[in-house]
Amino acid sequence: MRIGYAWLIVPACLLLGVFFVWPVFWLLLKSVTSPSLGIANFVVLVERPVYLRVLWNTIVISGSTAILCALIGYPLAYTMANTGPRARRLLIFIILIPFWTSLLVRSFAWMVLLQKQGLVNQSLVSFGIIAEPVALIFNRFGVLTGMVQVLLPFMVFPLYSVMTRIDKSLPSAAATLGAPPVRNFLRVYLPLTLPGLVTGTMLVFISALGYYVTPALLGGPGDTMIAQLIQQQIGNMGNWGLAGALAVVLLVGTCICLAVVQRFVSVRSVMGR
Amino acid sequence: MRLNNRKELMELIAGKKLSRRDMLALGGSAALAAGLAGVSSKARAAGKFDGKSVVFASWGGAYQDAQKVCYCDPFAQKTGANVIQDGPMDEAKFRAMVEAGDSVWDVGDITHEFLFNGIKNNLFEKLDLTKINVARVDERYRNDYGIGDIVWSYNIGYSTKTFKDGTHPKSWAEVFDLAKFPGTRTLPGNSPNATLEVAALADGVPVDKLYEILATDEGIDRALKKLSSIKDKLILWDTNSQSQQLFIDGEVTCGMILNGRAYDAAQKGGQIAVDWNQNIQSIDYLVIPRGANNIETALGLIDEMTVAENQAKLANMIAYSPTNKEAFATIDQKIVPWLATSPENAAKGFVIDGAFWEKNLEKISERWEEWKLS
Repeated sequence: MRIGYAWLIVPACLLLGVFFVWPVFWLLLKSVTSPSLGIANFVVLVERPVYLRVLWNTIVISGSTAILCALIGYPLAYTMANTGPRARRLLIFIILIPFWTSLLVRSFAWMVLLQKQGLVNQSLVSFGIIAEPVALIFNRFGVLTGMVQVLLPFMVFPLYSVMTRIDKSLPSAAATLGAPPVRNFLRVYLPLTLPGLVTGTMLVFISALGYYVTPALLGGPGDTMIAQLIQQQIGNMGNWGLAGALAVVLLVGTCICLAVVQRFVSVRSVMGR
Repeated sequence: MRLNNRKELMELIAGKKLSRRDMLALGGSAALAAGLAGVSSKARAAGKFDGKSVVFASWGGAYQDAQKVCYCDPFAQKTGANVIQDGPMDEAKFRAMVEAGDSVWDVGDITHEFLFNGIKNNLFEKLDLTKINVARVDERYRNDYGIGDIVWSYNIGYSTKTFKDGTHPKSWAEVFDLAKFPGTRTLPGNSPNATLEVAALADGVPVDKLYEILATDEGIDRALKKLSSIKDKLILWDTNSQSQQLFIDGEVTCGMILNGRAYDAAQKGGQIAVDWNQNIQSIDYLVIPRGANNIETALGLIDEMTVAENQAKLANMIAYSPTNKEAFATIDQKIVPWLATSPENAAKGFVIDGAFWEKNLEKISERWEEWKLS
């Protein structure tokens, strides 16, 4: 980029600086200044088991969501990349629907579908597949279902964009040279899609770290995530200091994840073309 | 998006509690009566706050719509003041504005818990009680810094489909009795207040010793242990809409629900009723943020909100309970049984100890989150 055009990003920088960087910095600063100067808030986080447990919970739930999104999203993206234009448009439309619906509405819809008296349970019972309704909601299953649905597009689109750029003659060449389908996939196709897979996983995992509504509405008592605790500290207790400390932990954790991913794949190779 | 805020959420999700048409149907006659009263008093006191503005911040939705019609409009008519509606109420925002020395709001509608937290943190103006006719508000529902405008309560809710003809659980001990009253129950999960109280009550703690016992670690252990006894059959609700949904869909047979929410669910055809025994009352207070710009007008508006006819009109519209007992004279008899401050219902319950929760919320919240994860 030539220096002459640098002024073009001034409005964006101002906007981000005033409305994002400064408030975030202010909250993070609170973690060491409120109620008094020092690291007392961080000591609390380490000393009381509940915070570390919730942090661990957050990582496990986000990780599970990312893995499930990859397992579901990969074949989906493959189908999208290798099907006719009409079917592709339909698939894109279906995947994007969640984006156009409020998170709250979606969470309530899942409640209606998955509860004991809900459509899924009642259908399974009436078809004789299960005798008694099973617990599909207010537990980890409910949380993951809701989160995977919301975050799936973040997995599918990076994968799709990588897959459409793969030279179709490469797998054919591998097959001609005698690679059986599984080996062909593992040695040729999968490595070529790896940048998309890693980016998608990273996007899903990092978005999931801050999730709040879905675990609150669809989860059980054991599914508390860190964003819920941050909200509680500010909203219920006016405790900006501890909330700031939790936010620091979340931010540092996210940055570490990003750094790890950066080592394996260049984000530019997926997003930048 | 901030979501733990119970009221903000419930309005957000459920939209309006009642449609405007329902409101008109319920409050039509009262509105007409109040309208006439407004005209006559306008002649009497016109101009007291001419040209003055006052910004009123509340929780949005049907509640604030009703407050506008029942409190703010008559006040504007009588005094010439311009009442500006704002919100939704956000306690973190309230605090940030006061601490920055620049509160946009002049009157705020806040929860019982925040009242005590705000007093401790010096967030409110001390009210000039010569400007407000405080005597008409029950003394349990007012304070030097806040005047209660409505009361609501945590109740035993039950499914009328499961429990017919008075066979429902009639005490918190019975709600916790899985053998006698089968089925899944529900309690609020986002904050331990009220939940811890009912667990202790269910374990046999008498009301007059309740907060004394819960102030000790052993007392908290005792309440949490009682909660553990029903954990396998417990769904924690996070929003009021969710509590309604659980009852309406038959997902739970009994548990805790707010009186207004049960009323709303019943109006919409839900098979739900409440028992008033051991109800826990909580209050919405009107406060003036410290350093507010229009304190005189704000005091006038708060005074208007304590007027019996206004509170009655609001109760008729959305079934929130008045703090001025004179209001019962004009409240629809069909609504009275749902109100927390009706003499009969109030006598069966008690007011939540806001000072206790201000002091102990942080400690108990940690224990509560730990219990949830265990």
